[in-house]
Amino acid sequence: MTHAVMSCLHANLAALEAVLADIDQLGITTITCLGDLVGYGPQPNEVVELVRERAIPSCQGCWDEDIIEGLNSCECSYPSQLAERRGHLAHQWTADQLSEANKVFLASLPMTLRRDRLLFVHGSPNSQHEYLLPDMDAFAALERVETAGADTLFCGHTHRPYVRDLRDGSIRVRIQSSTDHTSPAERQMPLPVRRIINAGSVGEPRHGNTNATYVIHDEETGSVEIREVPYDLERTCQAIVEAGLPPVFAWRLSQGFEYAERADDASHVCER
Amino acid sequence: MARWALVSGLQGELEVYEAIQRDLRQVGRVDTLFVLGNLIGPDRDANALLDRLQSPRRGELQPQCIYGWWEDQLLAERAFRGDRRADALRLSQGEAAVDALLQAVDPGHLQWLAALQFGFIELDCALLHGSSADVGDSLNTGSSPLLLLDRLTRMDVNRLFTARSGEQFSVDLTGGGIDSHVRDLEGERQLQQVVPQRKVIGIGSGLHYTLYDPGSDRIEFRTLDQQPGSRGRGFA
Amino acid sequence: MGHTLLISGPPGCGKTTWICQRLQAHRGPRAYLRLGGFGDEGQQQARDGGIDAAVLQDRVDNLLDLANPDHALAPRPDNLLALIEVPQFQPPSASGPDGIDRRLIPALDAHHLVPDAHLHFGRDRELPAQDTLDFRRLESWWHNLSGTVWDPASLSSFWFELVNGAYGDVYRAKALFNLPDGRGFFFNWMVSQSGSQFEPLTAVAPPQGRPARLSRLVVQGKALASGGIETTLSDCLLSDAALELQQAALRLPVPQPSAAS
Repeated sequence: MTHAVMSCLHANLAALEAVLADIDQLGITTITCLGDLVGYGPQPNEVVELVRERAIPSCQGCWDEDIIEGLNSCECSYPSQLAERRGHLAHQWTADQLSEANKVFLASLPMTLRRDRLLFVHGSPNSQHEYLLPDMDAFAALERVETAGADTLFCGHTHRPYVRDLRDGSIRVRIQSSTDHTSPAERQMPLPVRRIINAGSVGEPRHGNTNATYVIHDEETGSVEIREVPYDLERTCQAIVEAGLPPVFAWRLSQGFEYAERADDASHVCER
Repeated sequence: MARWALVSGLQGELEVYEAIQRDLRQVGRVDTLFVLGNLIGPDRDANALLDRLQSPRRGELQPQCIYGWWEDQLLAERAFRGDRRADALRLSQGEAAVDALLQAVDPGHLQWLAALQFGFIELDCALLHGSSADVGDSLNTGSSPLLLLDRLTRMDVNRLFTARSGEQFSVDLTGGGIDSHVRDLEGERQLQQVVPQRKVIGIGSGLHYTLYDPGSDRIEFRTLDQQPGSRGRGFA
Repeated sequence: MGHTLLISGPPGCGKTTWICQRLQAHRGPRAYLRLGGFGDEGQQQARDGGIDAAVLQDRVDNLLDLANPDHALAPRPDNLLALIEVPQFQPPSASGPDGIDRRLIPALDAHHLVPDAHLHFGRDRELPAQDTLDFRRLESWWHNLSGTVWDPASLSSFWFELVNGAYGDVYRAKALFNLPDGRGFFFNWMVSQSGSQFEPLTAVAPPQGRPARLSRLVVQGKALASGGIETTLSDCLLSDAALELQQAALRLPVPQPSAAS
């Protein structure tokens, strides 16, 4: 079966419509969303309603959680005071705009979705806030997939799509225990072959240009296609300004930058 | 180079702490005493031990303490952990254990316990109760090497000292590697990584404690007999 | 016998850099004065506000500041090299001292200065080749930042946005910024140059409160979104409490043993 996976819509309706049109035109009917339906962008209600109307299974992103639970993302996820202030402003604006029904919907989203050996999460199986960057420590990346009991892990959150195959791994250890006074035991553990697929971002791309990104995965062949979809960027930029959000958000989006940079520390685990 | 003594799981037993202090005077060449959590437990009144840890006697090594799983449960139940309560304890050992834990510690000690840190980083070593993932993370010789490596990587340290399992052990990562292939919009790349030479050390609990010489990387597991004044047995 | 030179040129052509090199190379007493230029039709001169003088004072030992009346009116030492900087968009009408903009004469007289020579960027070969863009309309915006201290990571984001067009079409930006560790930085950017100059001042203040040195941002360009710049500035500058938090960490020796979390 061929299915589409998308993430990080960030209240960008024009981008979501363009991606859904692309998926429809390919004749794909199974779609999974990895969260962050809202945040920064100008159309939170419209985007949530479109996802609900299309009945797209979604897991909860860090923005979806924070809008419901109150802003409690750890401050260390913002690399600067500027990014933090902008994040808080966008949070407050989004929380004020969202209808109660849409908040209830976001609150109902699960942290993870599972289909056989495919696992769908926003950040990592550990946390919606953890970044799985393409070049992060390969053992740590494998540990995330393996501990979660999956063969293929779909994630988002970084806004940069990639496919990473982890293979031919092994770890040799020497074990000594105080209860066993014999000489230390040597052991070699072969590591399983696992895959991480990052779906990129529909509404806030950060991969070098302004096109929305998502992925198509064929479960039979294992092939993955990273799709880039141009959309009416001007429409979203205009909506940002009309909504009273900072015009610099429109500028950042039009340059392919995130609204507010996030810490790029892949190993950072928020301990809130 | 002077050694570190690593102790955990005292669970309110002042006699055990005193036996360790006596042993430390005998073995010598120890300049720092780390107490990696579980100072308290539900089975006995911990106040005398907590008093002593905060006010060491003359000639005793000053203990450097962090909180462990039992302190975390107590602090949660006493509302020092936001909305979280001692649910893990309640689930595993029932309401009676929660009550017993509350009884074991005088509220006057709570501020001191609440100020304890999650862990210490000393040189290239992390000194924790559980692991970098969680205070309750129980690492032992049966833990997956991949998991152990992850816990080391998260703290970016070469040595991870852990106490949660109560076992004394050392797992050395001695070799191996992994290949990864990344494809993104910029292209494809192949990355090879080798297993770094790191280790996880279980320090034991109660009368079982550990000496570590950071200069030579030498570990000595010690076990004390219960009788006062008796000599400890150690092996490296 | 001294030497007094008037150096003019459009903003961002490299006047201050050239002047700094000349002053540093001179083996004798040195003096500097910056005069404000005159905005021509549609081109507004930037209020430098002392940025160039402050940077030169930091770079050139014992530089006489001719803006100070005590220095300007004192007898001139022998072998003094006095350099006068003037921003000027249009080339002078005549060569040599005759080409000096008449409107500058009162200011020169007031400082008892009679230039022996006048060099203009883009005209005189002694100066590096001019590499500036021709902007038909040039707006100017400046902001006094005295007593402010920046969150360093926020400053980096703001400068990136500024010079890449987030707040209008910026042609020239220069500034003196304070960081929590007591360092002052001269930031300089010109649309025709590749990349920004980020140069620390030699003088470092102790990491204790807000430094007294001059701090200022000057921007020239088109369709400048001054409101947007001001909003971002206020999100980047540290409050007293945040500043104290950052500075306290800088003042303390690393605690032993260090906490892991």
